[in-house]
Amino acid sequence: MSDQQHIVSAYDRDLEGVMVAIMKMGGLVEDSILKSAQALETRDLELAAEVRAADKRIDELEEKINDEAARLIALRAPMGRDLRTVLSVIKISGALERIGDYTKNMAKRTAVLAEVQAVNGAPASVRRMAREVEAMLREALDAYVRQDAALAQAVILRDEDVDQMYNSLFRNFLTYMMEDPRNITSCMHLQFIAKNVERMGDHVTSICEQVIYQVTGEMPDDERPKVAGDPYDPASVTED
Amino acid sequence: MDDLRYMEMPVDQDTKISASNVQIYYGDNQAIKDVNVEIADKTVTAFIGPSGCGKSTFLRCLNRMNDTIDICRVEGTIKIDGDDIYDNAVDPVQLRAKVGMVFQKPNPFPKSIYDNVAYGPKVHGLAKSKADLDVIVEKALRRGAIWDEVKDRLHAPGTGLSGGQQQRLCIARAVATEPEVLLMDEPCSALDPIATAQVEELIDELRQSYSLVIVTHSMQQAARVSQRTAFFHLGNLVEFGDTSQIFTNPQDSRTESYITGRIG
Repeated sequence: MSDQQHIVSAYDRDLEGVMVAIMKMGGLVEDSILKSAQALETRDLELAAEVRAADKRIDELEEKINDEAARLIALRAPMGRDLRTVLSVIKISGALERIGDYTKNMAKRTAVLAEVQAVNGAPASVRRMAREVEAMLREALDAYVRQDAALAQAVILRDEDVDQMYNSLFRNFLTYMMEDPRNITSCMHLQFIAKNVERMGDHVTSICEQVIYQVTGEMPDDERPKVAGDPYDPASVTED
Repeated sequence: MDDLRYMEMPVDQDTKISASNVQIYYGDNQAIKDVNVEIADKTVTAFIGPSGCGKSTFLRCLNRMNDTIDICRVEGTIKIDGDDIYDNAVDPVQLRAKVGMVFQKPNPFPKSIYDNVAYGPKVHGLAKSKADLDVIVEKALRRGAIWDEVKDRLHAPGTGLSGGQQQRLCIARAVATEPEVLLMDEPCSALDPIATAQVEELIDELRQSYSLVIVTHSMQQAARVSQRTAFFHLGNLVEFGDTSQIFTNPQDSRTESYITGRIG
C-alpha cells in the first residue's frame, strides 16, 4: 500500500479490509494444501473430510471479497494503484478459490484411493510436491502483503521446480501402470492429483503476477523457459 | 488508442496548440512554472489538479484572457497552428473568436436566445444577410445540442432557460463564430448530473470539429470525456499523457496521490 493515507480515511479501511480478507483466505488455502496432501499419504479420511469442509469457507470468502470489490468500485471509483488493488483482489481470490477446489478434489480421491491397492512411494512424492506449492503460496502471500514485486518474481521462477516434479511423477505412473495393470486405478487417480497440484502452482504464479501488476502497473510478460521433458510438448517426448 | 474501444474516434496526431517554457506571473507571484505542452487537434484534453494549481490560469492564457488582468505577465511562447498568439500583430479579439471559451457559470447575455448566438457572428461579420444569420444560429444551436428545446422560442430571453440549457446555449454561442479551439473552464460544476451528462455528450460530439481543452475538478469527468489528461500541481505540469494511462497507471507519485484522493 502507499504510505500516504487517503483524505477519506474510511477508504483506507475499506481497502485494508479486503486485503485482510485475501490473507485470511490464503491462510485457509495453505492449510488445505498441507492437510489434503497429508491425508493422501497417511490415508486419513477424517483429515480429508476436514479439507472438504474448509472448501466451503474458502468459497464463502471469495464471494465476500468479490462483493466488497464491487462495492468499492461503485462507491469509491478507485483510480491508479487503488484501482489495481481492487482488480487484483478479484483475480487473486479467484486463483485461491481454484486452489481450494483442487485440495477438495484431492480429498475426495483420497477416499477412493483408500479402497484400492497402494502405489509405493507415490503419495509421498505428491505430498512433497504439495509442500513445495504451499511454500510458494506462503511466499506469494508475503509478497502480496509487503507489495514486493521482486519476491513475487522469484516465486514465479520457482514454479519450474513444481513442473519438473510433476513431469517425473508422470513418467513414474506410466512405468507403474505398465508393470502391473492392477495399479491403473490408483495411478490414474494419483496422476489427476499430481496434475492438479501442478495446476495449483500455476495459480500461485498468477497470484504473483497480480502482485507485480499491482505494484508496477504492468503485467510481467516474460514467459518462463519451457521445462525440458514436458510430456505435453511433443518435441520433448523421448522415444523409448 | 491501444485498447478495445474500436468505435472510438482516434486521437488526432496533429498538434493544435504548442506551449513552450510558459511562465505566468501575477505580480511577484509565479502561478505557472515552465510549462511545455502540445495539445492535439480533434481531441479533448483535460487539465486536472487541486485548487490554485494554475490550471485555469494556464487555460486562460491560451486565448489571452489574462490580458485583461493588469498584474498578469506571460512569458514563453504559445503557438496555435504554428503562429505565436502573443505576437504584437495578433488581435486578441480575433484570437478569441478562433479560440472560444465556456465558463463555469452559464453566462448568457440578457438578450433573446437568438441574439445570444447571433451576437458573435454579427460582430465578426460572418453573416451577409438575415437569412445567413438564421442559418448560422440554427447550426450553432444544433451543435450545442439545444436546438430541439429552443426552436419554438428563439426570441425568449436566454436567461429564462434552465442551468443546463443555459450552459449549452453558451456552448452554442461559443461555436457560432466557427472557432478552432474551445476552452472550457469547469463547464459542468454548476449543473446537475443529467445536464452534466448532456454537456459531456456534447463535448464528445464537438471533438469531431475542434480541439477542446477542459478544466475540471471532477476527475471522473476528466476520465469520461478526455483522451489526454494533464495534471498540474503548484504551478508545475507534473504529468501529461493518455487519459487511460493517467488514471490507471500514473508515472509520477504526485499524480498517483492526487487521483487516488491522498493529496488535495
